[in-house]
Amino acid sequence: MRLFGALVTKEIIAFFRSWGLVAVVLYSFTLDIYIAGKGIEMQAKNVSVGYVDETGGGISRKILSRLHAPQFQKPVLFLSQKALYDAIRNREIMVGILFDHDFEKSYEKNGHAQLNVLLDAIASTQSFQALQYLQNIVLNFSDISVPVELKIHKLFNPNARTDWFMSLAEMLSVTTLLGVILTAAVFVREKENGTWDIMLLMPIDPKLIILAKSFSQVLILMGGLVIATGIVLFGAFGLPINQSLWAFFLLSFFYAFTSAGIGLFVAAVSKSMLQVAQLSILIMMPLIFLSGAWTPIHAMHPMLQELSLISPLRYYIEGSESIFFRGTSFEDLWPYFAGVIVLGGMLYWYGFQKIGKLF
Amino acid sequence: MKLGVVRAYMLKEFMELIRSRLITVVYLLPTMIIILFGYGIRMEVTHARTVIIDHDHSKLSADLASRFQHSKYFDTRILSITEQEALHRIKQAKTDILVIIPESFEKRLLKGVGSELGVFVDAAFPVRGETMSNYVKGVIYTAAAELMPKKQVHLITIDSRNLFNQAMRDEDAIVPGLLGLILLVAPAILSALLIVKEKEEGTIFNFFSSPVKKSEFIIAKLVPAFLLHSVNIFVLFLWATYLFQVPFRGSFTLFWFAGELYIVVSLGIGLLVSIITRTQIVAIVLTIIITIIPGFLYSGMLMPISSMSGESKIEAHIYPVMYYNHIIYDTFLIGQGLASPKIQLYLAILFLYALGIVLLGSMLMKKEIR
Repeated sequence: MRLFGALVTKEIIAFFRSWGLVAVVLYSFTLDIYIAGKGIEMQAKNVSVGYVDETGGGISRKILSRLHAPQFQKPVLFLSQKALYDAIRNREIMVGILFDHDFEKSYEKNGHAQLNVLLDAIASTQSFQALQYLQNIVLNFSDISVPVELKIHKLFNPNARTDWFMSLAEMLSVTTLLGVILTAAVFVREKENGTWDIMLLMPIDPKLIILAKSFSQVLILMGGLVIATGIVLFGAFGLPINQSLWAFFLLSFFYAFTSAGIGLFVAAVSKSMLQVAQLSILIMMPLIFLSGAWTPIHAMHPMLQELSLISPLRYYIEGSESIFFRGTSFEDLWPYFAGVIVLGGMLYWYGFQKIGKLF
Repeated sequence: MKLGVVRAYMLKEFMELIRSRLITVVYLLPTMIIILFGYGIRMEVTHARTVIIDHDHSKLSADLASRFQHSKYFDTRILSITEQEALHRIKQAKTDILVIIPESFEKRLLKGVGSELGVFVDAAFPVRGETMSNYVKGVIYTAAAELMPKKQVHLITIDSRNLFNQAMRDEDAIVPGLLGLILLVAPAILSALLIVKEKEEGTIFNFFSSPVKKSEFIIAKLVPAFLLHSVNIFVLFLWATYLFQVPFRGSFTLFWFAGELYIVVSLGIGLLVSIITRTQIVAIVLTIIITIIPGFLYSGMLMPISSMSGESKIEAHIYPVMYYNHIIYDTFLIGQGLASPKIQLYLAILFLYALGIVLLGSMLMKKEIR
């Protein structure tokens, strides 16, 4: 046990000696998560609107006055349809509204009018949502009263704040990335320098060395996670937590071992840092991607959905989502724990077997 | 500059790239990303797992339920469980939407008293939650409008035209943006290792002690990487147009030229990382972090640049992705080409960017022991 402690301490000191690495890890666990949370906004917000008004400006003015923040920017007036169209082509304007000559006339006379809207459909999600906002605005404007009152409750995230989700997903992705690369690097560096063979010749059980080395990286990750959760998630974004924080840290602890397991696997099959870099990128891209961090699993191609079942990150992300947002009770969390532990165990076992031998 | 030296050095670099299997990163990575992300990123929501609890058991409520059942957006099940059980299912992430139709729903509506419908949506993934609640609204309002007495007073309808992507295909919206991401990440990762690798292994002393000039060294390092990656412009183009069926409406020359410029930019970013770092591991992690996030954020594929404000708008103008992607989306979907002054400006910016970053790299590079 004392030996184990000494080995772990040695690795952690080695980590802190490389200030570049410390800086990168700190950056990833703080600013990087903050930027991702702040920056990625898939909701239609602040949509740029342009309009051409060929009517006298009675009803059109009233409709335009309902386009306001946070959904829309202040509508910009264009003098001709061509100018508006050019602005959309240059992607300066996303939604163009045309009030043509007889829009107001026909509204007064027949009680019915048609509004022409041009959408930049390249931003398909946002333009679709913007269209729906517009439809609601126009529907409210027309005096139709629906006798059904719709009570929609957005559970867990009532204001649909993207930053809550994105910052969490980014934190988990960063954990994966660093978990794999750091662990792999620790082993491969020794392999490259030739000191690994000496390690194996020493009168210590190689399994203990492997365990201690990967445990030290797990500790570094856990440190990063605590910092990120405290400062960025709770501090900057004010995430709610509806299950206990300990459940999350426990899940994270297992997951950190899983990612270290992937790192072990990478280290076992590669001979130089260069190969580590290549392999970890090749493994990590699909892993992070298939996890549901960027798009929900149920929206993916069916084959990718099946594949995502072998991504441990999938269980980690869904589990963390459940812990933070859904407040799922402890007994319902077992699939996530099981997924992380089983996959992690298998990876770890393989790396363990393979790397504990002389090369 | 001695051409013979540069050529010999370049040849050595080429051999090393191939021998060290870095070549797999050059060709496997871009293709892998475009296939995974191209198939994987889906903004549209279909098959939302919906549970309807019908307390009314009337003709009207059955009609409403069948509207959900016949929509491709919902996978609907009508269950007779309690609301508690249903909420529990949402907590277990087994259900996305819960619709509760109250008792005497039909009776109240026929009397014109008005009734309430309770809808619960899992918004743990916010965009999806928002979209799902919009869908539910759509279904219910359409149903209500059809059942209402037909007295048309003052109704404005919207006739919308989708420009550039008539069918609102996710592929058309996303795949071109992926090009900007991939051609930023892959070349940068490659060039980030070029110099730091020699530093870590100590072979950089060969360069320090040889009469090779700094400029020759950098050219010899970048040119092989540049040539290898240039092929990717075409490979990615083929994937986009054949595999994902994204239309191509603009000038191919413009697409190609902009791509080459952009590769110089991203190789330059990697070069800078390679110069300022000391170990390969730091170089790799740093490159991944500084390229992937901006590549997603400022690509205009998840969020249009015109909707940005404040700091993110400024940041978007700092990174090269925005300029390149504007050109890419134009050549693929809009097709204005060089006629547009904005594209001329953006090409010029990319050119200056490329020039500036390589010059900066050669300034920071030191030919001595540090």
